[in-house]
Amino acid sequence: MNRLSTRTQALLPLMLLGACASGGSKASGAAGGGVVTLEDPAGDDNGPGNYTYPTDKVYEPGSFDLRKLEIEDKGDTVEFRLTYQTKINDPWDSKAWGGNGFSVQMAFIHIDTDHVAGSGVQDGLPGTNVRFAADEAWDRVVLLSPQGPTRVNSEIEQKASQWKDRIIVPKLTRASGRTLIAVVQKAQLGGDPKPSWGYQVLSQSNEGFPDKTDLLTRKVNEFEGQHRFGGGTDYDNDPQVLDIFAGKAKGGPDEAELQHQALSKYTKDAQAPKPEDLAVVPLIYLGQ
Amino acid sequence: MSHRALSVLILTLAAQPVAAGAQSTSYELKGKIYTKWMYKNDASRGCLSLSNPFWSDNIGGSNGACSELDLTLTGRVSKWVTAGARIQSRWGALWQDWWENGDVRWDFPNNTPFYENTSGESLGMNHAQYMKLRSTWIRAALPIPTVRWVHLGSSDLGMFNEWTVGKSRYIDRDNGSGVFVEGAFGDALRYNVGAIALPKLFIGPRWSTGIKGSDPLASFWGSDWAYALKLEATPVDGLTVRAIASYVHDWEADRNDPDLTGPSDKTRQTDRAVDLKTRFQAVNATLEGKYNPPAYDKLTISGMTAFAFNNVNRDYATNAVTSDQGFSPVVYLLDANGQPKAAVGAAAKVDIELDDPFDIGLSPKFEYFNIGSTYNVIFGARREADVLLTEGFLTTGFMKGGQLPTLNVANEFVDFDEPWYETVIGWHGGTALLDYVLGGFNASTEYTLIGYNTNGQNRDIDNQYPSFLYTDGFTDTQAYTADFDYANVYDRGRDPRSVYKRNQNRLTHLVAVNGELLVPGVSDLVLKLKLKWILDQDNRLKGNPNDNYAGNLWLGFIGAQYQFTDEFKSSLGYEFQYWDEARRSGSQETGFYDYFTKKHSVRLGLGYTFGGLAITYLLEYFHKDQDRTRPGSSDQVWNVWRSKATAEVSW
Repeated sequence: MNRLSTRTQALLPLMLLGACASGGSKASGAAGGGVVTLEDPAGDDNGPGNYTYPTDKVYEPGSFDLRKLEIEDKGDTVEFRLTYQTKINDPWDSKAWGGNGFSVQMAFIHIDTDHVAGSGVQDGLPGTNVRFAADEAWDRVVLLSPQGPTRVNSEIEQKASQWKDRIIVPKLTRASGRTLIAVVQKAQLGGDPKPSWGYQVLSQSNEGFPDKTDLLTRKVNEFEGQHRFGGGTDYDNDPQVLDIFAGKAKGGPDEAELQHQALSKYTKDAQAPKPEDLAVVPLIYLGQ
Repeated sequence: MSHRALSVLILTLAAQPVAAGAQSTSYELKGKIYTKWMYKNDASRGCLSLSNPFWSDNIGGSNGACSELDLTLTGRVSKWVTAGARIQSRWGALWQDWWENGDVRWDFPNNTPFYENTSGESLGMNHAQYMKLRSTWIRAALPIPTVRWVHLGSSDLGMFNEWTVGKSRYIDRDNGSGVFVEGAFGDALRYNVGAIALPKLFIGPRWSTGIKGSDPLASFWGSDWAYALKLEATPVDGLTVRAIASYVHDWEADRNDPDLTGPSDKTRQTDRAVDLKTRFQAVNATLEGKYNPPAYDKLTISGMTAFAFNNVNRDYATNAVTSDQGFSPVVYLLDANGQPKAAVGAAAKVDIELDDPFDIGLSPKFEYFNIGSTYNVIFGARREADVLLTEGFLTTGFMKGGQLPTLNVANEFVDFDEPWYETVIGWHGGTALLDYVLGGFNASTEYTLIGYNTNGQNRDIDNQYPSFLYTDGFTDTQAYTADFDYANVYDRGRDPRSVYKRNQNRLTHLVAVNGELLVPGVSDLVLKLKLKWILDQDNRLKGNPNDNYAGNLWLGFIGAQYQFTDEFKSSLGYEFQYWDEARRSGSQETGFYDYFTKKHSVRLGLGYTFGGLAITYLLEYFHKDQDRTRPGSSDQVWNVWRSKATAEVSW
């Protein structure tokens, strides 16, 4: 085999895949339902405005900075695509521990399917230290974790079993470029996504060795550490959330300020916080 | 502190009440128990597939059950100061080894090391499950201008990079200690600076910083340090620039110092002060940049240049290329006059990535890499890192491989299911990779072309350049064992550290296609596919067409993962490899001979997690058929069954 023919042979799979990719995308566009898109400004991955990243180099700038959430109806499944400011890496080689191809990110996608006061859950999941308004209580939450599904299910069983039926571990979670992709069975959501549904994402970080009351979340302390966020408190009163969507979720700069306002409203001197001491996170209802 | 005192301390601390829900508790105690069962159809005993390859340490082996306890204590001294420690039981005792206590066994008068008898005390301390202090550290936010943190003690060295001071491998993660300061000049410049005590093993000539038993020319390792500095800035929106430099210095006592050569006597110029001489120095530096244009955030351009300087003082370091059959983590260069000189090398790479530019799920990536023939980082990452985009030679359907710019790659102290790493010194080429994601379908295809800066004729591998003895053929990482195959008696191909050959004119093409599909309509079933082809050509000595190596590696893999319940998952895969290697091994004198290798591998994986208990089971069978046309070399067959099960809890 001469060198020229070798190279041509080598490039063939690339060409074939490109052709397949183009065809596939057209098919999906025709088959898929509507796409819901929420956007968020860059540079607001600081919680209430003053949170800082852990100091280890794996927490690259922008790693927890939400930019976009897309929710697409794919027939029997619903695809969630969560895009961050920077490329999603896998510095801890998650495949070696049964993970999903990324390491440090983690996100909770909350969904309110009825927007009715008294329906749903007002509490945040363990380790988030937030709550929700009565008429914006969540009914489902999709959990995007680099941990394999059996580990996530085990943590849910131990720490949030009362909401087990409401917490969705996707059938597939993966990273592609700057985006986390999760495929969820529509039946898990309770039916077709509707324009009236409300959404909110809490951007957190995967903690493989979490506190006994935390659902795989990383702590926010007063001072940042090698693997701890800084800028909060050393008690469980501060929202352990780096970024959320806010306002009309169009990505405008005012939305960063709205986020800061929402996440700042917690009782900073509450060492044994009650629910009313925690920040209230709003949901985004694009259809209203 | 004695073991008993330490145990009492831990029990006392564990008995203290902990305030529920508060992070302000003055301490935190975390524990982990890890148990492993290994079985294989051979006669080895132990719980570690590949142990110490050089000093057989009697913990390696593939039949046994072993447990380990790990305790981590973290204390809040104040809101500015935290401290921590980790203690861990020594790995290596089998469940079957009931009475081992580390005592010297009764073997009078022979004192045979590790002689096994009925005393039950025969295997040494590393089978006695003693608790060892693995790390201590103090971390303080001191009110010093620009300083954010001072860290004293153990560290995984993860703050630098693979090309300077690499993150320690997992089993060594707390073994490194130093003094570290991190801080910032406002938002303009962030910095990390550190002084790290050099490990007496693995850094330097003959993999040591001066151990008498390793190098008769050296014996002093208590004053050897490395120093590193990282500067990082974001000068404009979207652009991050990072510069890292490291310096390694291995000192030895001046053996001619009069204080070491005779009695104290002023006329002999003794002064109760011993001068030092340098045995080894290394400088590594990188300059990196990463740019995400704010106007088009789908594009990422990153680049890196690296510099290396390695200098060996031959008066204090034995030439391992000459003395150790070409096994050496450093080169021993000579100038045109035959005088020793430092090895200076450079490296560079550029990456361009587009994140789904057409919004159809297709993301192209391109990488150019050029690693100089004498680039080498002695203190870089030894494994568990990957500096190139390509999946390289070693990645298969079952096993991941990685690439590192060092001769110091470490593939020992691992199990058969763990990744392997290869050196990329001398690699010059590029990779084009397409990622395609469409819902539950994901595929990637890669083409990589590798030329070699190490190509050349009549290279001196007798005295200057380490060859690692085994320079030819595809490496079979699957067939490595911890027994006498360390000497490669089973002919398993090129050593992953081997980059230099006497005569080389090599070019490699690599194509890989990977696919993964969440099967529509069958909830929780994921199919995986991998196809790979490598054409590796080396025309060796110019003018001799009869020594031209042409290796073709074909690999096909198919696998499936299925999640039966929330707690229970499984996987099953099959892989076939065929290697057609023309003129793989031989010599200019005897000629070169063809090798043909077929491998069939099957793996079954099970995982069960509930209530914090995680159990895994892996069963592998592989059949390898190696036909060798070389006279005197018989054909070989492997029929290997092996398994590994683990149970782990943390609290």
